[in-house]
Amino acid sequence: MSNLLTRAKDSIYQVLRGLKTVAVHSLRIPTTKEYPDTMPPLPPHFRGRLALNVNPETNEHLCISCRQCERVCPDKCIEITAHKSPETNKLELIDFKIDHGLCMFCGLCTEVCPTDCIINTNDFEMADYSREALVYDIRKLTLTQGESSHYFAAKEIALPKPKPAKPVASAPIAPSIAKPVETKTEAKPVETKTEAKPAETKTETKPAETKTEAKPAETDTDTKSTDNESK
Amino acid sequence: MSTNLETTNLKTDEMIINMGPQHPATHGVLRLILKLDGEIVRHVEPVIGHLHRAQEWQGQNRTLFQYQALIDRVDYLSGMFTSLAFAHACEQIDGCQIPPRAQYLRALVCEMNRISSHLLWLGTFLIDLGALFGFPFYPFREREKLLDLFEEIAGQRMMFNYIRIGGVQRDPKPSWFEKVRKFTAEFPDRIDEYEAIVTQNPIVLKRTKGVGILDKSVAMDYGVTGPSIRGSGINYDLRKTRPYGIYPELNFEIPLGQNQGDTWDRYMCRILEMRQSNNLINQCLDKMPEGEISGKKQIAGLRIKAGEGFSAIESPRGVLGCYVISNGSDKAYRIRWRNPSFCNLAVLPSLLIGRPISDIMAIFGSIDVILPDVDR
Repeated sequence: MSNLLTRAKDSIYQVLRGLKTVAVHSLRIPTTKEYPDTMPPLPPHFRGRLALNVNPETNEHLCISCRQCERVCPDKCIEITAHKSPETNKLELIDFKIDHGLCMFCGLCTEVCPTDCIINTNDFEMADYSREALVYDIRKLTLTQGESSHYFAAKEIALPKPKPAKPVASAPIAPSIAKPVETKTEAKPVETKTEAKPAETKTETKPAETKTEAKPAETDTDTKSTDNESK
Repeated sequence: MSTNLETTNLKTDEMIINMGPQHPATHGVLRLILKLDGEIVRHVEPVIGHLHRAQEWQGQNRTLFQYQALIDRVDYLSGMFTSLAFAHACEQIDGCQIPPRAQYLRALVCEMNRISSHLLWLGTFLIDLGALFGFPFYPFREREKLLDLFEEIAGQRMMFNYIRIGGVQRDPKPSWFEKVRKFTAEFPDRIDEYEAIVTQNPIVLKRTKGVGILDKSVAMDYGVTGPSIRGSGINYDLRKTRPYGIYPELNFEIPLGQNQGDTWDRYMCRILEMRQSNNLINQCLDKMPEGEISGKKQIAGLRIKAGEGFSAIESPRGVLGCYVISNGSDKAYRIRWRNPSFCNLAVLPSLLIGRPISDIMAIFGSIDVILPDVDR
């Protein structure tokens, strides 16, 4: 009988001890973050959406079309279209497509990039209404000068060395629009130019817009790549 | 409780019941085919393979550099350990030197990962027992802090890709070490909190004491490793019995189960292990040397010499082995994983037979099986 009593006393004491801990807890500041309202502080090396840097000083596109990222990608989600320019005999980037639906965000492409062009940004809100919209082309991938300088500073990447001399005028942000126009001038690329503009602002999730703009962009790039192959 | 049921003379037909693969308490997709006599389990057949992702085959079809990014998926709760096992096996073949700072960083992140893995186990185990304490509440608060630290050093919360062949990927900043110190300073108090709520709680004691007794000989026969076998009182921890890395230089103890190896012993073992890991993190921080972090250049065409290598390390679930055959190219010729969860799961039927159905989850939770680790 006394054994039962001591056991009961002990049990009640233990339960009360647990309850006290819980009660003290309810007075503490909540540790949960209410995500859509307060964004979590992300470290600079967070592996989010992939993007392409421009030179923070000169606004030149940093990609040299070496295709190392394309080769190292375990998911084969990067597709680079480039051609050899007849004048300078150098590789010129035409298009850079990343299928974020396939990407597993391992960050290997960013490690092998010799010019620190492709980086993981802190952006992770990429939800969209169609699979096609997850295929980002060069316009959607390229960061602005301000964003690039932010990531260069945050990730502590050394700034790219200035080129010794400039044989030709510095390439604009998206050579895809500037260059292939001379081969086949059709109305299509001009159309996408105007339509793709809103996509540059980083995370505007407007379903209706993205849907309509995704389709012409794809057909456009398709024709371009076939053009390139036929060359 | 079970004895009461067995002494009644009620005759019932045996019934076959499928538990899982979509059962919330089976920690993934395990299917248990139970043959029940009333409430008593007469026969158990675990059906595995629902999560098979051909990890070994994928490793043989990717370059070593690419496969390193995928290893964390073998056991997603202890990605650092799977990376470490693979790196050890490859370094054994290649014979490259690992700088001391990389060694200490490896031990540091591994012990942090051990704590985070045990914390998730604690949460899910108590959910299995029916307590609201677990899953989203107390242990997950500390786990979030650890995952934030991992995110800062490796880039992601669970798919780290941090430990590489030859060293580690990134040298953390001094501010990161300060954050780890802050965590280790307050963590023992947090464990005290869990223990105040759970350890001596009469309901938890009723559900765990004397339930699922894992006999020493049975445990050894089945090749059970990790805290499950240490709960039975067998001192088998590779960090002590076959030391690797810098563990011989560190001072720690192996907690053992005090009773006969029941569910409560395995629970206690893990709680004490978390305290030891916390202690180890502090030691690593104190002894952290300066210098290089990788003895091998991390390039896309990473190659190792031809040969065979096997490494075994102590993961939170037990002995994790990795066997690699390399023919000198940038791909491995053969990769083989020895997963602790797979071997620990084998002992489940012998623990469950003769127990009521309500004990299944208590016993299953206590041996800490991660299904991706079983199926890989």
